[in-house]
Amino acid sequence: MAKLNLALYWAAACGGCDVAVLDVNEKILDIAAVANIVLWPVALDHKYADVAKMAPGSIDLCLFNGAIRNSENEQIARMLREKSQVLVAFGSCAISGGIPALANLKDRDDILRRVYLETPSTVNPDGVLPQTGCPTPVGDLHLPEFYDFVYSLDQVVEVDYYVPGCPPTPQRIWEVVQAVVSGNLPPRGATVGALDKSLCDECQRVKRDKKIKRFYRSHEIITDPELCLLEQGLLCMGPVTRGGCGTQCINANMPCRGCYGPLPGVTDQGAKYLSSIGAIMDARTPEEVDEIMQGIVDPAGTFYRFGMSTSLLKGAVKQ
Amino acid sequence: MVDFEPKIIGFLCNWCSYAGADLAGVSRLQYPANLRVVRVMCSGRVDPTFVFKALSQGADGVLIAGCHPGDCHYTEGNYNTLKRYPLMMQMLEQFGVERERVRMEWISAAEGTIYADVVREFTETIRQLGPYKRRLVKGRDQVG
Amino acid sequence: MSRRITIDPITRLEGHGKIEIFLNDAGAVDDVYFQIPELRGFEKFCEGRPVEELPRIVSRICGV
Repeated sequence: MAKLNLALYWAAACGGCDVAVLDVNEKILDIAAVANIVLWPVALDHKYADVAKMAPGSIDLCLFNGAIRNSENEQIARMLREKSQVLVAFGSCAISGGIPALANLKDRDDILRRVYLETPSTVNPDGVLPQTGCPTPVGDLHLPEFYDFVYSLDQVVEVDYYVPGCPPTPQRIWEVVQAVVSGNLPPRGATVGALDKSLCDECQRVKRDKKIKRFYRSHEIITDPELCLLEQGLLCMGPVTRGGCGTQCINANMPCRGCYGPLPGVTDQGAKYLSSIGAIMDARTPEEVDEIMQGIVDPAGTFYRFGMSTSLLKGAVKQ
Repeated sequence: MVDFEPKIIGFLCNWCSYAGADLAGVSRLQYPANLRVVRVMCSGRVDPTFVFKALSQGADGVLIAGCHPGDCHYTEGNYNTLKRYPLMMQMLEQFGVERERVRMEWISAAEGTIYADVVREFTETIRQLGPYKRRLVKGRDQVG
Repeated sequence: MSRRITIDPITRLEGHGKIEIFLNDAGAVDDVYFQIPELRGFEKFCEGRPVEELPRIVSRICGV
């Protein structure tokens, strides 16, 4: 059998997804045995120009992580779509914006001003902001355009499969690679490498009646390692999040932040969580609700930690 | 803002507020036609998803109306509305949505006049606020 | 003849980088530009987030 052509790319991302691929450890050798890697900036030296020369459809599998933040991200996404038989949105950023999409709560110009003019460590007396084109005596230089919105991959190009997680766990990555190698793929558009049930289904903690008198911020409480974190008053997003991660955060006594994304059939993970949190508050009057809400300081940033791009409201607006 | 006719979505509970709207109708009370009514079995059925979806698809305001606390046909349903609403408003504010755009009211089956007043007042509030400028995500062909 | 050599992307590090090397007629390096075509804006979007959440947010600046 001819070797598969495999590409791994990062757009607006941190590289954690690429490292998660390396975390399959010695199995990476098995991947190398069945696949030629044609692009993987974190580990190998291929250039964009090399990929541009390839024939359309000549890449068998592309694992694309990272959100679409600027015009370069978009161009590479379009190029890899054209060259790839199977394009996988790999990780939370590619699927739903991830952490970079928290910027959708902010204004583009405010971001540029803060980063290049106002941060205490910045020295920029001429107030220079990045430009898409810059002439120099030796030739013109070009930078990508910084968009006013952080897009998920499928808001820009068609995506074949989704592998959620921030990052996806090595065990699940290995299963995905095996599925591609064996040709045993689910219908297009499917989410692969995650469960169809919520994280609570996978979570081993003892669950009883959920009635919350107070929400705690994580530094305000020492939690019982056996009991449900939500019942102890920590905002755990397990009830509205796909399982499949092996409850890693919860094992470390940290509540789930929802990186595996919404359950099948749910459009908006944050709204769903808002709905369930409202229902389990132990309150009867608006005053009691106000008091319980003191423990929830940042609902938008917390409930949409990984999913702002694909949320219904998409981000903040200036009215 | 002279030409602006607000589009308002109203989620009314079957047992109280929808009957209140009915009463306003049979009593021939006059009120603006800007409110599009969606009948739900209980105000507690109004998932915040419905509100966000209404706003994201062109509504300028959303009204959630149900039985008075204690009067719920399902005993507890409207307490869920009561508890979700303030949290939803806190979140909407972070999204830049004015508090006045989403309103919660308790309207019983006997309160046809209150229903008409609420619709009149709410329509006027939204008219003053102007259209809701939602964040549009461009299609795949026009990203950038 | 003057030439331009572009290294895009720079590899084996976290993040995005590009190098443009300009050679003069003699083939010697005239000028070099190192460019970062990436910005996510953590400096701004961390504002408004609860302080205890920042370790879980800023850890996504670099995951390598």
